Amino acid sequence: MTAHRAQWKGHLKVGELTCAVGLYTAASTSERISFHMLNGKTGNRLKRELIDSETEEVVERDQQVKGFETGNGEYIMIDPEEVAAVMPESDKMLEAEAFIPCGDVDDVYFDRPYFLVPADEEANDAFTSIRDALSKTNSTAIARTVLFRRMRTVLIRPHGNGLIATTLNFDYEVRPSEEAFKDVVKVKVEGEMLDLAKHIIGTKIGDFDPGKTDDRYETALAALVKAKAEGKSLPKPKPVKVSKPNDLLKALRESAGMGSGSSGKPKAANANSGKKKSSTTSSKSKTTHRKAS
Amino acid sequence: MAPRRPYWKGYLKLSLVTCPVAMVPATSESEKVRFHTLNERTGNRVVSQYIDSVTGKPVKDEDEAKGYERGEDDYVILTDEDLESVELETVRTIDIEKFVSRDKIEWIYLDTPYYLTANDKIGDEAFAVIREAMKAQNVVGVSRVVLGRRERAVILEARGEGIVVWTLRYGDEVRPENEYFTGIDKKSDAEGVNALEKVIKKRTKNWSPEMVSDPIQESLLKLIAEKKKAKKPSKKTAEKSRDDDKTKSDNVVNIMDALKKSVQKELKSRKAG
Repeated sequence: MTAHRAQWKGHLKVGELTCAVGLYTAASTSERISFHMLNGKTGNRLKRELIDSETEEVVERDQQVKGFETGNGEYIMIDPEEVAAVMPESDKMLEAEAFIPCGDVDDVYFDRPYFLVPADEEANDAFTSIRDALSKTNSTAIARTVLFRRMRTVLIRPHGNGLIATTLNFDYEVRPSEEAFKDVVKVKVEGEMLDLAKHIIGTKIGDFDPGKTDDRYETALAALVKAKAEGKSLPKPKPVKVSKPNDLLKALRESAGMGSGSSGKPKAANANSGKKKSSTTSSKSKTTHRKAS
Repeated sequence: MAPRRPYWKGYLKLSLVTCPVAMVPATSESEKVRFHTLNERTGNRVVSQYIDSVTGKPVKDEDEAKGYERGEDDYVILTDEDLESVELETVRTIDIEKFVSRDKIEWIYLDTPYYLTANDKIGDEAFAVIREAMKAQNVVGVSRVVLGRRERAVILEARGEGIVVWTLRYGDEVRPENEYFTGIDKKSDAEGVNALEKVIKKRTKNWSPEMVSDPIQESLLKLIAEKKKAKKPSKKTAEKSRDDDKTKSDNVVNIMDALKKSVQKELKSRKAG
């Protein structure tokens, strides 16, 4: 039903309803500015070479094999192509195993989003029923299948007229937030401090369109390169002044005063500012810097 | 998982309040069973090294330099110190300029999650004030920060004692959904929806990390542990791995069997449930 190429084709099953569907990449990653590696002494470009970690001899491609580490520098050799070949043919069935209320999903597990689309006209009825049942119950569906040569869990949720399936990271790939935050010193926040901070936030509540952010790093880097090439001395980064605990209340009071004074006009420099001009230049120049070796 | 070194250190700022913070990625590949490249002849690990493309000689670490390509074969060398001088505040400061309710940010824009905490005693209280005020107002902060040589839009969401920072995808990284969803009916069959709602209600569960287990990794880990036990702790030699073709193929066959079994078991158990 779309001109794009499906990443995966199969069936979506919820309860007794089944329909033919396709998965399509919903997001791509643009490249960052990359540098070339040089030899500082000669100014020549660098190349990478693979060498034996012990004998230091160059290892040519046909001598390279894959292996798993069993510990203490011991390896089991293995042919990854055979591993891939042995994965059983998937039954190509995305079957909802469980449903999770939208608010209960831990988004930290999110990996990549895919548009989930009915494969043909015939699939439309079942597909729209699944979409609207999920949306009416404010639920997401959990399904598991062999995807891209791995057994992957995906989270399926309604989005516009279609569905989005997000692959989820495996349990061992995600560090739970409770664990990451367990050493944080507990500070009780109340009274005037909290009220002031709430007030400051209140003055800054607004709209935001994530699609309209540009990348200003490239422009800033180009300016730096120009200065260096012209032999100018580079500016030292200004030290950042940290609020001292004793001054925190004062800083909050001053901030709150500032906020109410200019409440009609939020200060510039919000995340969407300056979008028009630099977004076009940055996307254009993105292609001129190829990835370094 | 072991605690990790901060991935990014800088400052969190709300209006006139500033505190030192550190950020670590919420996800990591370090626990994943991975293939390594070996030298077939010696069985040793293969590592990569830089050589000068003209002289062909290995280059010492201290001679490696980053070059910004101004034109063809025209490079300006930039040191890490130079890069510190990039004049963009978002290189080291996350200044929260705006707040929005969480549901304003569509899931499709979420790219990579990080955990943000105060990085010094001096900032504990300021960090806590910002975090608790966001919770009380039920909003997420919007800002920008330079990560990996790209300036990213980020949202900051208070969670427990910390803050989760999400980088957001750029507009041109999210494909236009209309191109994919055109042709899908807007309306649906009320009877079908009703029946499915019952199914959904009956099988609604709480989120649990068990839902994202990896049966293949589990059987690989088991297998590697067995190999480790069975193998003598002696170091392998060139002769050994060359003569040892039989052992090698045994290993391969066992891994294949284990993989096959674990995937089939997983597919079957799902059907039953």
